[in-house]
Amino acid sequence: MTSDLGESSRLDSLDRREFIWRSTGLISLALLAACDSRGPKSADRLLQYAERKNLALERKLFRHTSMDVVQSGAYDAGNKLPSYFVSPVVPVWDEAVRGKWALEVGGLVAKPARLTLEDLQRLPQVSNRVNHYCVEGWTAVETWTGVPFAELARLVQPDPKARYVDFRSFDDDYHESWDIESAMHKQTVVAYGLDGKPLQPAHGAPARVYSPVKLGYKNTKYLTKIVFMPRMNGGYWTDRGYEWYGGV
Amino acid sequence: MVDPNPQTLPQPTPAARPLQSPRKRHHWIVRVTHWVNVVAIIIMVGSGLRIFNAYPAFARKGEIFCCYPFEHKPIPDWLTFGGWLGGARHWHFAMMWVLVVNGLVYMTFVYLHGEWRDLVPRKGDIRDSWQMIKFYAFRRKDHPHQGKHNALQKATYFALPWAGLFAVLTGIAIWKPVQFAPFTALFGGYVWARYWHFIAMLIIVVLSVAHVFMVFAVDPYSIPSMITGNYDPKHSPEARNARPFYHLLPRNVSIDFRVRRERKQGRASGQSHDI
Repeated sequence: MTSDLGESSRLDSLDRREFIWRSTGLISLALLAACDSRGPKSADRLLQYAERKNLALERKLFRHTSMDVVQSGAYDAGNKLPSYFVSPVVPVWDEAVRGKWALEVGGLVAKPARLTLEDLQRLPQVSNRVNHYCVEGWTAVETWTGVPFAELARLVQPDPKARYVDFRSFDDDYHESWDIESAMHKQTVVAYGLDGKPLQPAHGAPARVYSPVKLGYKNTKYLTKIVFMPRMNGGYWTDRGYEWYGGV
Repeated sequence: MVDPNPQTLPQPTPAARPLQSPRKRHHWIVRVTHWVNVVAIIIMVGSGLRIFNAYPAFARKGEIFCCYPFEHKPIPDWLTFGGWLGGARHWHFAMMWVLVVNGLVYMTFVYLHGEWRDLVPRKGDIRDSWQMIKFYAFRRKDHPHQGKHNALQKATYFALPWAGLFAVLTGIAIWKPVQFAPFTALFGGYVWARYWHFIAMLIIVVLSVAHVFMVFAVDPYSIPSMITGNYDPKHSPEARNARPFYHLLPRNVSIDFRVRRERKQGRASGQSHDI
């Protein structure tokens, strides 16, 4: 009787072993099939959930006192700084067609403003030598000269309900919206100068937003409008699947 | 009613077999965290390589990086996961939590349950490792008996959590180089932290590939033990004197010819393990 039991349990274990081998094979096949794909579609909701949770955590981690520091000995990128835009050609503000360039600052604010480049240059000026963090993984050291965003905010007096800011451009429909705290960070500027020279069309002339606390794609170039808003408003790359927060 | 003070012990029936060890080789927590780790590490490495491919280099713009020989050479697509940069980032930033929580569960269990005793390095481990190497190199005829894991396994399983911790710390450093600027500076700044993150990945990949190779080559019977927890010591590498791929050879063929020769010359006894 005992030998019978032993025999049957041995058979059981053989079946189980078979089952295990087959399931291992199936799982490996599934993993192989998933290679270089975007992963299973059913995971999308989980990934979105994780992104929402990460966003909440990252906003909690944000500190106005945390500053980007350029490593000692780091070289300026100079002309090695890549130039990106979404239009087919370098976007250039053509005064003959569009009139004089001016930056509109509005939305949920007490005193909307319209600032020409000269107006911007008369406002308090800072130059920050900071890192540029690209979503692709590269960094570049550059010096950005411009108006601290906080100065602009002081000028237009945003409503306390304005928790988000949309930066819009004349580079097709490019825009990116930010959380207000990142915009108010000390190193966030509306820049009109790069490395001591006026900003060139390749890097967003006449003015762009620049902050080391955000990934490159959040820093809208070719600015035309800054809009204070009660809720987030996506963005060019955000709507194409990159994370909205994009903070570093 | 059972006599509370029996004069004689109950006799075992003659046919009774010795009980199989009631303790499983691997606790269910170890088994679950192991397989979660398999999925999490594959996805983290694959998505990480996809992110890396967006800029497959370490140099800051306008600089040259000293210590990576394959600057600007992308990783083959088939080794990557996530499909595109944004997709891979979503996978990476979601799966990182699974990896961290899973690692914490495993480490807490190993600590509380005493399993760490099988894994921490001990004085004789270098000698034991050398004996294992000699055995695999046919310089020693019998498989050394070194407890649950041999010294080479122990070194691997001990190193992996540290490599994981290193990957997590360097990962945090490149996730928040501004918010945690002083922390990132500990790794030499963003560029170097990104490099160390890559190195941590390489260590994990090398150790994992070696582990998987040895499982299939030396102890495939341990695969069920990582699923059901059951392990038959009859099939252990020690019992089978298993060198890589030993189990795939027909029974009557012996690759350890030196041992065979010795056996023919008169049964080798346990006096000397060395050939």
